Amino acid sequence: MREGKVSTMTYQLGWSVIPQILVRRERWPGGYKTRTVPLVYPGQEVQSAQPVMRLERIGSAEAVATVPRSSLPRVNDAPIDVSSQIARSSAHAPDQGGETLPAGLGGRVIDITRRGGVIIESQAAVLQGVIGAGNQVAGILTMWQAQTSRGGEQGFPSSALLIVPGPLNSNMLREALVFGVVGVIASSISSRDLESFLRVDLVELIDCVDVESAQAHLPRMTVLLTEGIGTIAMPTRTLRLLSHYQGLMALLSGVTSIRQGVFPELVISLPEVELQQPWHPMRPDPTLTIGAQVRVCSGDHEGAIGIIDYLYLHQQVFSSGILARAARLRLEDGTLLTVPLVLVERIS
Amino acid sequence: MSTQPYAEGGQGPKSSSNPTSAGSLLVADCGTVFTKVSLFGLVEGQYRLMARGEAPTTIAPPYEDITKGIIQAINIIEFITGRLFISEGRIISPEQSSGDGVDVFISTISTGGPVRLVVLGAVDAAMERFASQAVSGLYAETYALPSPSQIATSAPAPVPVGAGARSSGSGTEGPWTPERVAFEWERQIERIREIQPHAALIVGMANGPAGPAPLQEACQLLVNATTELNKQYRDSASAGIAAADVASRQIAVLYAGAPQYVEAVRGMLKGTAEVTRVDSLVSQEQIGPTSIAVGGLFERDVIQRIPGYARLHSWSSSTPVPTATSLSSLVRFLAQHYAMNVTAVDIGGANTTLMMAGERGEFIPLVNCGVGVGPSVGAILQRVGIQRVARWLPFDIAEDELRQYVLNHMLHPHVISTSQRDLQISQAFAREALILTVEAAKGDSLEWLDADLILATGGVLAHAPKYGQAALMLLDALQPRGVTSLVLDCTMLVAQLGAVATVAPIAAVQVNENDAVTHRLGTCVIPFGTLPENEVAVRVGIEYTSGRQVTVDVMSGSIEVIPLRSNEQALLSLFPAPTVDVGLGPGERARAAEEIDGGLVGLIIDARGRPLVLSGEGKERQKRLSQWMQAIGA
Repeated sequence: MREGKVSTMTYQLGWSVIPQILVRRERWPGGYKTRTVPLVYPGQEVQSAQPVMRLERIGSAEAVATVPRSSLPRVNDAPIDVSSQIARSSAHAPDQGGETLPAGLGGRVIDITRRGGVIIESQAAVLQGVIGAGNQVAGILTMWQAQTSRGGEQGFPSSALLIVPGPLNSNMLREALVFGVVGVIASSISSRDLESFLRVDLVELIDCVDVESAQAHLPRMTVLLTEGIGTIAMPTRTLRLLSHYQGLMALLSGVTSIRQGVFPELVISLPEVELQQPWHPMRPDPTLTIGAQVRVCSGDHEGAIGIIDYLYLHQQVFSSGILARAARLRLEDGTLLTVPLVLVERIS
Repeated sequence: MSTQPYAEGGQGPKSSSNPTSAGSLLVADCGTVFTKVSLFGLVEGQYRLMARGEAPTTIAPPYEDITKGIIQAINIIEFITGRLFISEGRIISPEQSSGDGVDVFISTISTGGPVRLVVLGAVDAAMERFASQAVSGLYAETYALPSPSQIATSAPAPVPVGAGARSSGSGTEGPWTPERVAFEWERQIERIREIQPHAALIVGMANGPAGPAPLQEACQLLVNATTELNKQYRDSASAGIAAADVASRQIAVLYAGAPQYVEAVRGMLKGTAEVTRVDSLVSQEQIGPTSIAVGGLFERDVIQRIPGYARLHSWSSSTPVPTATSLSSLVRFLAQHYAMNVTAVDIGGANTTLMMAGERGEFIPLVNCGVGVGPSVGAILQRVGIQRVARWLPFDIAEDELRQYVLNHMLHPHVISTSQRDLQISQAFAREALILTVEAAKGDSLEWLDADLILATGGVLAHAPKYGQAALMLLDALQPRGVTSLVLDCTMLVAQLGAVATVAPIAAVQVNENDAVTHRLGTCVIPFGTLPENEVAVRVGIEYTSGRQVTVDVMSGSIEVIPLRSNEQALLSLFPAPTVDVGLGPGERARAAEEIDGGLVGLIIDARGRPLVLSGEGKERQKRLSQWMQAIGA
């Protein structure tokens, strides 16, 4: 083995939190029946809050009716003539709507997709979640405070992306939905509470192939969990990043599909003042090396964060009796922990 | 070794120029979660396993290159052997005088997902079964979507009864009105969009009450659905959807319907899909061509689209082979070579495989796609429910804990169980994965083979900390009867040896005997029939080669392990109770003509009865489970 370099499973971009990276994302609100009219053109510079598309919604089976009919040789007594019924049942006219959607990201328009999505390239900070639900939304990052959620004077700005530093519960989610919050970023939640809010079987939801259909029946509030299912607090580093950018508009997607390899993320375009400073885009290296900061992703110490202190040359035995290659971590509180390599993911 | 064709489909490996003279081989098995690489070399004239390495499979971002995981696993072998196998991202080949490099590189693949196949046309229960049988040994999933006219003519319309009866507003019940037909049509397009198939299989002989209409509708459905899918995927190509799937939206069509309509079908699908004609699927004897065609689709639409495939292929002495195809070659070879019924099980992260080969050439393969203990663990929970998983645990567990375990393993399929509790949960899921696969195999198959030898592989079995745990999982899930032997593939080699055999047959045979099937867990005696409650089910007499004799009375409902180590042999005598069968009929005594082999667990007597019934009372069941685990050393 090459000295001290080991790869493991990891986040799609390499790390869970990337303070500076150049990303391209399609602004698309989700849904097969969604149709949009772009309000921008390729090459145009856009601001996060700038409307980039207008929504139109079309009926369900338009495509079926437009397909030319062909046929096999004539068959006597064919019991059903399907095509004419389809044509009759599917003649829906589009609804004209006037709702516009903000870019969510500041940057340059790269392309317009066939369905009317707008691809924007942006210098951004990216936060990748473990699990989430709900289509892409844009909103203002807003820190949750206990008193504001009780209908206090402050309230939440409409279209807020609410940051909850600790674990969530279903009541908080329902409350946020009532307040018009469009997205919630939190550390964790119990599977029961999340299912109760979403009204779906989470296993089925994240195992789906057709992600568009799967999101269609969810509440209109997107959720991203940085640590996943359970009661794990948000890491300081993540919270620091979110606090730093509170008040800015960001783009949140909760879509999670194991089969499609899609995971939730929050993309925050860097503010002008930071763009004027030297640009140091990161190329996250997921390799596990001594000194790398990692997160334990499963087991009794799930959520613990530490620095790799030592990589064992030989397999170690764990309390289950299982033998595995392992690393020793120095946790944030100074304690040492030996964990299998497959249980750690590099976060920075 | 095996000279059998790849009858269950797919293309067999191509021979390299001079493979039989290979002095060293690297063999990679790329699974859904982990990639395992083994180094074979010559030791005193015999091929042996020299070292092995394991690393996460790297087809997903940020790596998106299957060879990166292989290189990681090879790096471990380099560390162990002190030899160098990779230089500038390529395999060093042939082996150098310094010992660096390797003569042959071979790979097997089970990652990339299954081929999703929609079965369209005049699909009745028999057709659905034939289609399912045709792909049973492949990484393929079938979804039957009978044409609306087929449904309409095969299911009698319910007649409203009573004055208050009304037809359903949903459009899914009642007579086949035009509205209901339209609804069904729309439902099927929606279903195809959900499935996102790689291919369609059109079946039906046009001699049913609906005539050729189902074939016509199948074509129309494909035209409509393809238009939808293409639009959807072109639209989302830049939206973060996996590129491999985007590229595969051209649905391949296999036509196994009425021969007289093949040109008409081609005409209807012109510009939409390329139609490949295979033999009409009308009986079990005719599934071969469909099987081969689907195997080819898996290689073309799944394996060859795996990120990094071109590089992998450039390293290889032969075309990468589906792991299930490789395993099937080995299992059939073992059955013929040892003249016995061999059952192989492979519990993986995304699939569970069961292959049974008989000494007379019988072969029952079943790859249960989407049922595994890694990313597919959620499918087990969905299919069997909480209670069926929890019944294998010797402790109480809340539904929330089990669901959290499942979600965590779906999201982090590579994690291993560091605590005893997690380990037992993972082994409970492994039992259910195997039970589901056995049930599926029994549903598909007309015959069933009682195994003389059970060969087990896959991470959850091979990495079980105790041999008794692996033995108990197999006994619980497979529920063999009579006398059988359990062998554990701790080195996870067996699934690769079929592929090795086509390139270097001598290496495959020698590694198999020297290293792959060396972890014999033991001989098992499993009395069945009516076991007398609270009484002796069978008296077991053992005569060791040393002359020492031992007699053990095994009570009904219990497991006993009689010491008989790996290097020991003994003569076995069985005296069952009058209603108990040990393979020769109720009450018939048995005395082995040949000595039986010992194993890492010992001689296992499983007198719990068949079928195995677990108590419905929680505490009692947990107590029994603990007793069995203790008895077998789990």
